[in-house]
Amino acid sequence: MFKHILLPTDGSEISFTTIKAGIRFAKSIGAKVTGLCVMPLQFTFFVEMEIPKQALEQASKRCKEVAETYLVAIEKEAEKTGVECNCVYETNDCPYEAIIQIAEQKCCDIIMMASHGRSGVGALLTGSETQKVLTHSKIPVLVYR
Amino acid sequence: MFKNILIPTDGSNLSLVAIQKGVTLAKSLRAKIIGVCVVPEHKYYLYQTDINVQEKEETAKHFENEAGRSLAVIEKAAKDSGVPCETLCEIGGHPYETIIKVAEQKGCDLIMMASHGRRGLKGLLIGSETQKVLTHSRIPVLVHR
Repeated sequence: MFKHILLPTDGSEISFTTIKAGIRFAKSIGAKVTGLCVMPLQFTFFVEMEIPKQALEQASKRCKEVAETYLVAIEKEAEKTGVECNCVYETNDCPYEAIIQIAEQKCCDIIMMASHGRSGVGALLTGSETQKVLTHSKIPVLVYR
Repeated sequence: MFKNILIPTDGSNLSLVAIQKGVTLAKSLRAKIIGVCVVPEHKYYLYQTDINVQEKEETAKHFENEAGRSLAVIEKAAKDSGVPCETLCEIGGHPYETIIKVAEQKGCDLIMMASHGRRGLKGLLIGSETQKVLTHSRIPVLVHR
């Protein structure tokens, strides 16, 4: 039924648990997965601040490196389980926008994500990015716990 | 992976789509389906009204008949696809509480529901009962569009 599952990650432990479940889910229905990591565009952090260009470049390079480690973990897990997997790295200040955009671009037919990510349970009963994806997505969303 | 899928229905057209998709998913996972329809408790719709007992009973019967029709849709969809299915008509104040209670009692590992139900899109980007289930459920929720 579902042929292509998008698995966004923010590198948190709970998101990795979801990814493992997503890969098992993919295996059981014969689907493939796309792993996605969205990092913020650095300059919004530093609006109206005089940060040297070099530092910004370094920060964005570091972001990319960190994202790679998350995505490699997804690839390894998929390989271990025997599920076809591709990974995408994106930069966007609104992660949910990138998640929905990539889902459409890659023709995913379901997005599977944790109920909470990096910001944790703090103030919200459903994670804020998950909530935004749920609100704006036109494809089904599986909220994993 | 998911073995026991709960599909709540309120008889709306959107929940029909979720039912169809849920049955297809259950088939590809060789899972079982539990259909549930929540009927409001007397006190909620007849609170402090001067309705005689006979009318109360008629109203309750009416709700049960409606629920029966909604559940028959699930049974038929499951039967047509050869998916094992059980249906329940539950009485409860807040549908989301009953949905979660039934899911836990029946050992469901996934709740599948439409993004909107009977009340449609009025003022909300995601249906209110779906939102409440998402907030309170400890079981994964697949939100269908």
